[in-house]
Amino acid sequence: MANLQVNLCGVTLKNPVITASGTFGFGREYHELYDIGTLGGVSTKGLTLEPRFGNPTPRIAESRGVILNAVGLQNPGVEHFISSDLAWLKSTGTAVIANVAGKTLDDYKNICQKLDGLVDMVELNISCPNVKSGGMAFGIKPETVEEVTRYAKSGLKKTPLMVKLSPNVESIAANAKAAERGGADCVSLINTLTGMAIDIERRRPIIANNTGGVSGAGVKPIAVRMVYEASQAVKIPVVGMGGITCAEDAIEFLMAGATAVQVGTANFTDPLVCPKIIRGLNDWCDRHGVQNISDLTGTLQLNGK
Amino acid sequence: MRDYQAKVVENKEIAKGICSITFDLGEEAVVRCGQFGDILVGGTHLLRRPIAICKVDKNLVTFCYQVKGEGTQKLQKVETGTTLSVLLPLGNGFFVEKEEKKVALVGGGVGVFPLISVLRQYKGEKEIAAYIGYRNKDAVCGVEEFEKADKFVAVTDDGSFGEKMNAVRAFEADLKKGNRPDVVLACGPTPMLRALKSLVEREGLVCYVSLEERMGCGIGACLVCVCNLTDGQHARVCKDGPVFNANEVVL
Repeated sequence: MANLQVNLCGVTLKNPVITASGTFGFGREYHELYDIGTLGGVSTKGLTLEPRFGNPTPRIAESRGVILNAVGLQNPGVEHFISSDLAWLKSTGTAVIANVAGKTLDDYKNICQKLDGLVDMVELNISCPNVKSGGMAFGIKPETVEEVTRYAKSGLKKTPLMVKLSPNVESIAANAKAAERGGADCVSLINTLTGMAIDIERRRPIIANNTGGVSGAGVKPIAVRMVYEASQAVKIPVVGMGGITCAEDAIEFLMAGATAVQVGTANFTDPLVCPKIIRGLNDWCDRHGVQNISDLTGTLQLNGK
Repeated sequence: MRDYQAKVVENKEIAKGICSITFDLGEEAVVRCGQFGDILVGGTHLLRRPIAICKVDKNLVTFCYQVKGEGTQKLQKVETGTTLSVLLPLGNGFFVEKEEKKVALVGGGVGVFPLISVLRQYKGEKEIAAYIGYRNKDAVCGVEEFEKADKFVAVTDDGSFGEKMNAVRAFEADLKKGNRPDVVLACGPTPMLRALKSLVEREGLVCYVSLEERMGCGIGACLVCVCNLTDGQHARVCKDGPVFNANEVVL
């Protein structure tokens, strides 16, 4: 048995597998299929100060090896989460990461204040591509990434801050550094890539929102490259995600520089994928004589070096 | 709800572009009529196909599906003996109250299949009339099941099988003759359900409709397949539905 425990900026995760925001609700539905307390962590559905209705349907489309979604941050609001879901989610024993989004800098600060000390970590969504005012504007340029991170951090006295980075940017390294300067305790990446899928019979985009965020197995090489670049650029830990469907995929991200990983779209294909990945990580470590999974982080050696 | 590694025991075309696939789950599953399963066709298709359960017979579960896109084309090619991952049962399903004795089923297109599951569950216990609309005679299927109802009216859009009209008009015609059900259960294309909703509202009938929407997780977590309720709220088609009171849902 390998030691799968990892330390993510002071938070101990029982293993490096976290479910990605938006694919897992607050965990209740998946808990009907398996004990979600076995997960390293759960990143919640994106929360906003007020409840949000989200976008019209269809909100999802498929393309080979990927999906596109444009849910538009539908959520019951942070107060509802705190009163109705948080205690239950904590009681499962998994680490609770509250994913939050806002329209203004003050929104980000306020929502962080409400969650400070209540959750294990806050994940800042500054990269939702599906809403006009969902923080995407903050997530593009390094200057605004730094500013929104600083505002959010000022609302957190006890809880560490993870900043989720958008891949739809000029330089992922520059934005990771900007988050670090703004006070992020760690960064997570990648959020979805903006894409479009067309119904050629109707000559219209399949998704009502026209564009959606692309995720799933097909985006993995892009995500691995970006995780590598970000982890080279910053000293804070990096959480990698994008197309992970099995333990071997997760190990790629760890070697590229990630301390932990998030799994999203694969939950739709196989709702039991996360426990399988956790078992697979243990088996891989055992087969390769790796005693602590944290020893794998950043062990990639580039060719020609 | 469980993720079954289910063995395909039969997969055949039953009408033009409509197929029926039967799985052996290896054990008996408790399924309510109107519930659905989420079938993984695999390969480069990352999303499962949510399909209504048509029949359950001990370990065997049968789904009927329209061959429409790449995923269902791939499903059609699945050979007997293949094992697929099938998540079921999902959704709420149809319920008929104890005091509701006379049940009308109104269905069109692929919407007829969940109604077969209703018929199989309540046959003998309730007086059931089925009003079923097909595009044309090539699309006619499930007749051997619907003939077991107390009354079966089949109609087609072009009059090539039964009268030329739609299922809602067939139901309305019978209603005008004084055959009033205690509850109406329906599934079919949205325009059909919309026409039915306005009819049952005029007539003051209790009506439940089963909806279809593109889904992500299929179990209520991802909020992809929402519909609008008349009170301004959203509901998840996969978890809160797919069956809704026609009065409470915006069509």
